[in-house]
Amino acid sequence: MKPDDVATAITNALVQGGAKWLMATIVAFLPGLWTMTLMLHLGRPYVLRTLRRCGLRLGADVWWMSYLLMRDALLLVTFALSWIFFAPNEVQSAALPITGPVAALFLLLALAVKLVRRVDDDVSAYRWSTAFLVVGATLYYLPQVFAIEANSQPRLSWLVDTFTSSSHPTAALWIMWVSLAGVIVIAGGLALRLIQHADRTMGQRLSTTRPKTPSAAAHAADD
Amino acid sequence: MSVGDLTTAIINGINAGGEQFMEGTLAAVLPIIWLAILGLQIAQPYMLDMIGRFTLRLGADMLWLIYVMVRDILIVTGVVMSFMFFFPDVVTTDVLPLTGGLAAACLFGVLLVKLMGDPDQNLRDFRLVSALLGLGAALYFIPYVVGVQANSVATGTLLRVSNFLVTNSNPSWAVPLTYVSIALLAVMGAVAAGYTLRTGGRPEVEPSTSGD
Repeated sequence: MKPDDVATAITNALVQGGAKWLMATIVAFLPGLWTMTLMLHLGRPYVLRTLRRCGLRLGADVWWMSYLLMRDALLLVTFALSWIFFAPNEVQSAALPITGPVAALFLLLALAVKLVRRVDDDVSAYRWSTAFLVVGATLYYLPQVFAIEANSQPRLSWLVDTFTSSSHPTAALWIMWVSLAGVIVIAGGLALRLIQHADRTMGQRLSTTRPKTPSAAAHAADD
Repeated sequence: MSVGDLTTAIINGINAGGEQFMEGTLAAVLPIIWLAILGLQIAQPYMLDMIGRFTLRLGADMLWLIYVMVRDILIVTGVVMSFMFFFPDVVTTDVLPLTGGLAAACLFGVLLVKLMGDPDQNLRDFRLVSALLGLGAALYFIPYVVGVQANSVATGTLLRVSNFLVTNSNPSWAVPLTYVSIALLAVMGAVAAGYTLRTGGRPEVEPSTSGD
């Protein structure tokens, strides 16, 4: 083998290995992100109890703002990183949880509830978003722990085989496409709602504070 | 060896090495996290004493909120970083403390007590949290020091004990303990979810909601 061949091999390995490493890192971080998302969402009663003890409005605001930022940003980041479950090539070739796309769909549903209703004021909305998160987390954790990370366990071989995407690429791809359709429907609904809401609120604002155009102002002065 | 073979070998080396490096780093950072959690828990009376000395309410509020935030974020981080103890493949491959999963379950128990009780106001809950932290620290540090960090210097009986306390040299104990830890975590997670659904995210269960 010539030095050029070795250089080519190292270059290819860095490019392909880097992509694989990035994917593996995302997969490795997702359980942690899911856990933090759940803990911050479920920890709301504790956060409120601590908040009530603040003597000053400033401290309470800083505490609540930090909590909200972390909780909601984590939810968004977890959904964004779950996008690997919607990459058909990866679903077919890599060992991913077969119900990963459905888990991501439930995560988006929890986000959608937060966007559509006031989760922090409306108890039933909070319960809905909690239920979506718990179902999504269960659909993620079960195959991740008992299939993807249990290859070495002969007793769990049927679980490993059933819940690994690369073992059943056809079923995994079907689950992925159906979940993707769900994501598109929800995202489309959210986008539509956003446009309607923007039209309504901006229209109201414009009608109440409509500035006079220079010509209209000149006519008014003439009158 | 062809260029393709060499490429594949390097890719496998990068990925396998990278994964083990990451897990090794997490395992190395966890004792520091545990020590910081213990230190902050033990320091609560000192913090309360310090808060009493503030003449300005703003400073007292800020000190308390920063203390609570750092303490609780460290506990959450500890649970998240301990997640590798719940993966059977990782437990059988890596050099990890045997009862690390049970220690993580204790840490999650602390979060559950904080969610359902009030350790900053209620002495019984504070003692329960301290006991869980003490138990968790013992379950983490004893196999970590005697097993993971001593198996190359120990001899004779101590070496046997040392190997027993390391997951990859004792998989027949490590894997069942992993399942026990997963079961504990699942039960506590279900209790936490049930509590939060019952309260609807409010600080405590209200009498009017108990019937619905």
